[in-house]
Amino acid sequence: MLAYIIRRVFQSVIVLLAVGLVAFSMFRFVGDPIENLLGQERTVQDVERLREALGLNDPFAVQYARFLGRAVTGDFGISYRQSRPVSQIIAERAPATLELAFVSGVLALTVGIGLGVFTAIRRDGWAANIIMSVSLIGVSLPTFLIGILLIYLFGVQLRWLPTFGRGDVVDLGWWTTGFLTSSGLKSLILPSITLGLFQMTLIMRLVRSEMLEVLRQDYIRFARARGLSAKSVNFRHALKNTMVPVITVTGLQLGAIIAFAIITETVFQWPGVGLLFINAVQFVDIPVMAAYLMLISVMFVMINLLVDILYVWVDPRLRIDGRHT
Amino acid sequence: MSNLPDATRQGVEPLDRMEPAEVVQPSRWRSIWDADVTWSFRHSPVAVVAAVVTLAMILSAIFAPWIATTNPFDPASLNLMNGFSRPGVPNAFTGESFWLGTDDQGRDVWSTILYGLRISLFVGFMAVLFALVLGVLLGLLAGYVGGWVETIIMRVADVQLTFPSILVALLIFGVARGVIPIEYRDQMAIWVLIVAIGLSDWVQFARVVRGATLVEKNKEYVQAARLIGRKPGAIMLKHILPNVLSPVLVIATISLALAIIAEATLSFLGVGAPPTQPSLGTLIRIGQDFLFSGEWWILFFPALTLLALALSVNLLGDWLRDALNPRLR
Amino acid sequence: MKTILTAALLAVALPAGAAELRFATTSDPTTLDPNAGNSAPVFSLLINVYEGLVRRDRDMKLEPSLATAWEPIGAGEGWRFTLREGVTFHGGQDFTAEDVIFSYERGSAPESDTSSWFAGVERVEAVDDYTVEFYTTEPNPIFPDSIANWMMLDKGWAEENDAALPSIEQGNFATLNTNGTGPYMVTERQPGLKTTLVAFDGWWDDDIGNVTEAVYQPVQNSATAVAALLSGELDLIEPVPIQDAARIEQSDGVDVIRGIEARVIMLGFPHDAENLIAGGEEGNPFKDVRVRQAVAHAINIPAILQTVMRGSAEQATQLIGPGLRGYSENIAPGTYDPDLARQLLAEAGYPDGFAFSLKCTNDRYLNDEAVCTAINAMLAQVGLKPLYESMPVANYWTTLRAEDHDMYLLGWSPGTFDAEHPLRFLVATPNEETKMGSWNFGGFSNARIDELMPMIQSEIDEPKRQAMLDEANRIMADEQAYVPLYIQPLVWGVKEGVEVVQRPDNFLVLRWMNVPE
Repeated sequence: MLAYIIRRVFQSVIVLLAVGLVAFSMFRFVGDPIENLLGQERTVQDVERLREALGLNDPFAVQYARFLGRAVTGDFGISYRQSRPVSQIIAERAPATLELAFVSGVLALTVGIGLGVFTAIRRDGWAANIIMSVSLIGVSLPTFLIGILLIYLFGVQLRWLPTFGRGDVVDLGWWTTGFLTSSGLKSLILPSITLGLFQMTLIMRLVRSEMLEVLRQDYIRFARARGLSAKSVNFRHALKNTMVPVITVTGLQLGAIIAFAIITETVFQWPGVGLLFINAVQFVDIPVMAAYLMLISVMFVMINLLVDILYVWVDPRLRIDGRHT
Repeated sequence: MSNLPDATRQGVEPLDRMEPAEVVQPSRWRSIWDADVTWSFRHSPVAVVAAVVTLAMILSAIFAPWIATTNPFDPASLNLMNGFSRPGVPNAFTGESFWLGTDDQGRDVWSTILYGLRISLFVGFMAVLFALVLGVLLGLLAGYVGGWVETIIMRVADVQLTFPSILVALLIFGVARGVIPIEYRDQMAIWVLIVAIGLSDWVQFARVVRGATLVEKNKEYVQAARLIGRKPGAIMLKHILPNVLSPVLVIATISLALAIIAEATLSFLGVGAPPTQPSLGTLIRIGQDFLFSGEWWILFFPALTLLALALSVNLLGDWLRDALNPRLR
Repeated sequence: MKTILTAALLAVALPAGAAELRFATTSDPTTLDPNAGNSAPVFSLLINVYEGLVRRDRDMKLEPSLATAWEPIGAGEGWRFTLREGVTFHGGQDFTAEDVIFSYERGSAPESDTSSWFAGVERVEAVDDYTVEFYTTEPNPIFPDSIANWMMLDKGWAEENDAALPSIEQGNFATLNTNGTGPYMVTERQPGLKTTLVAFDGWWDDDIGNVTEAVYQPVQNSATAVAALLSGELDLIEPVPIQDAARIEQSDGVDVIRGIEARVIMLGFPHDAENLIAGGEEGNPFKDVRVRQAVAHAINIPAILQTVMRGSAEQATQLIGPGLRGYSENIAPGTYDPDLARQLLAEAGYPDGFAFSLKCTNDRYLNDEAVCTAINAMLAQVGLKPLYESMPVANYWTTLRAEDHDMYLLGWSPGTFDAEHPLRFLVATPNEETKMGSWNFGGFSNARIDELMPMIQSEIDEPKRQAMLDEANRIMADEQAYVPLYIQPLVWGVKEGVEVVQRPDNFLVLRWMNVPE
């Protein structure tokens, strides 16, 4: 087991290095940062000076090596767009994304599990069928459109909820939170629905199919035959047994939520790392793009590693075979 | 999992977890389409409606030049002064009338939707095909060969997951600019989209196929084939592949819906289909600019079409998964 | 982010009659250092914080600011500025000639993005504490115009904070902090999120409205910004998508304020290309002036303005708009005449048209993509075969600089508000040494205009200078160097009762704003 983990960690490091290499070899295709950094009255000399100062004249391998050398010390360089350390910017932006992801995740999980259980128990009921079909609408429209429609309905027409931003936040020193103010909480509603809708549908369908399967198993039939109440059977036995796959998938999806909040953050002007990344792409802010990709890779790699280890731990067959997943 | 933003990431259900070994007995893959499936289809009104809608859309797209009243992709035929005509109301300047109205360029919305459907379905099908071929081959290879080949493929998959499709699209766009001859660059955008969406999508195919292959390759019939000296390539394609096809089919169906939506999302970020040949996604992106100004039809009809298409395909995928999964019958 | 506590304290601290303004634009300034970013978003914000020797009034005319008067030295050897006395920086330091010399050295350093303003300046001398002389290598009649955005920093403050030179690549104290003499102080700066400005009590002038606190937030998605204005979360947004203006005008509690920007949108030609990049044919049909004229006659600009721009833009006749210095009155707007266009193409030997690429941005100018789509159709209607491609601006300039274009869309806002500016950057033959023609992507070259350029730049006599500008503009029109399309409109959305002044440079001048109390 230890050897397996060490091997996986080693592979993960290789993956990270590969991500960096691919990223750096391709950044020059995104555009030329100098075009954005200097005004229209710049001279050729200005361009050359800045190009040299930023190290853009070096081959990408050299730029990558320089980035790596600094990254191991936690220094991701200076953002082109904001002229300040990338690590500082990301630290400022991360709470917004993490809070949004957390609320979306909780929303997806609670509503998803609730509806999943309901549609499984009432498998052929009309309400369950409607829920099953309607839930697909959420995954049949592009996220940006759902976001804009929500803004239009709840922000402009009904004026119940804010249309953009995080509202007032409380600064706890190393963390800013929107959980402690009413405007901060209100601001969370629309973006977290927009972001969580997809995962909600996913979890609901997963819970439903797992439940349906478990409900057919002998021990459930046996429990029923023993005269246990439907509630007890459904929740204490059946639901409990669907939780392992649900937790696994949710874990993987949490990574996905954080990584791909890009669209939601753009539509709602949510000041998180997703919006930061989109701005970086538009501005060709290479240090920010590189740091973002590295962080996302670390997150994905860690989640994948944990899930794989969990599988090996849960499923003894994999251990006996000595097969590495 | 694919790595498209938000709603375009993964099959609606975690298909990694479907165990095809238990789904289909090792036999000819035609037996997937046995009486059970047909019966299930006939007795699922939702599936029938979804299939009819999907089929109607595909046919409309194929026969768009005959159904559409104008050709919105022919710039010479457009009249800008027809712009913003309300549905069914004659235009104030030209007196022409369009039953679904016109967009900002004076294009007939009805015709533009039909032609846009073509682009969307083409991009969707090609992207899924690309992802499917790439994913299935790599998945078979990883599962069957194992060892360092498997390690490399699965770690490449990890790298792939890291890159948001917007960045993949921008990068491919940049690389393509340097590689593709100038004469073909006006057609480039569509292929950039196909590759970008396909690249973001192959991982889930690879994972499912690899998982299934791991199970299949230790089965007796594969062992037998190996004993009689069949080549690994033949074993993979002739014996293992047919037995992992049903989850692949389900993923492909759901991926199609996701790919069509992914194209719309990329369009929102400015790297979608070209404005002269708008896809449904581009039409929605253009139309959302007119949501507040009251020209609702420019957004509404394309969005409705996209919704109907994606919903039908999703419902079909839903039904297909249940129908192919004997544990749920 | 601001805590609730400080918000409460500030609310208490505000004097009676105080008013807060919450405003948004699409792009956050990259820096607060007036020498590290030479772009509209930077100056639009900083003009409220820093001041120059001269400033522009509501009609873009120069007026005294930190200098009370200025005059040419001798026969065009330079300019002498008399400084205003009794001006203090936000930090309490006095403003003197020493700060002007320092700001000159800082602004003209190679590290600065504003050094081109001082290209012709030989030396700067402080005659006394309140008189500064600029000596130029050539007579420079528009020197005061070209330094309207040159902002004064306090020498001591900059040096104490290690910000004596701007740093575009690393950033320094001045990137996030300010110390100007202007009507507002920056009290909070969170790049990309929020910037708070508070009125400066010690400001020397009294031309200021009632805004005591202004909170700026960038909102990129314009639909989101419109929603926030309609729902009352913002008091001012810039720009309003043109199509949404009518809706905002009809809504209760909000208004639209329209104006004309100094930015002219135009189409460029590949003048100096041997072959076109598209089509694969030998030769470059655009070398024939008749082909360029055919393009101009093929484009129905009034129709574009009527539909895509919803009637809120004006057709352009030349590369600057009317009202700016050096505008030539004698040039008629281009006319839409598709038959003439076809005839000109036939005369030039292209009765069946030819294929060429047309490049456009899709996120740079108002409705740029829609305008290009319409142009694409109009060019096709006279038999041409444009291959139209639109892309984000991140890719665009690189594409144009790589000569990977035939026709292309370009918008130009003259930094000096003078006709010489676009001539210098867009029309003069590209030349790295003279730093001319640096945005002349098509490589247009006309010997007479090149000959006129240095003369225009050094002519002090206004009528003579105008005559030369008229000649240059005439040549441009006859040669159809560009197709001027229209002058970009300014469309701001405000909460009802908010009074603003829109200047053609599209700067948000807070001191001219009044907010209902």
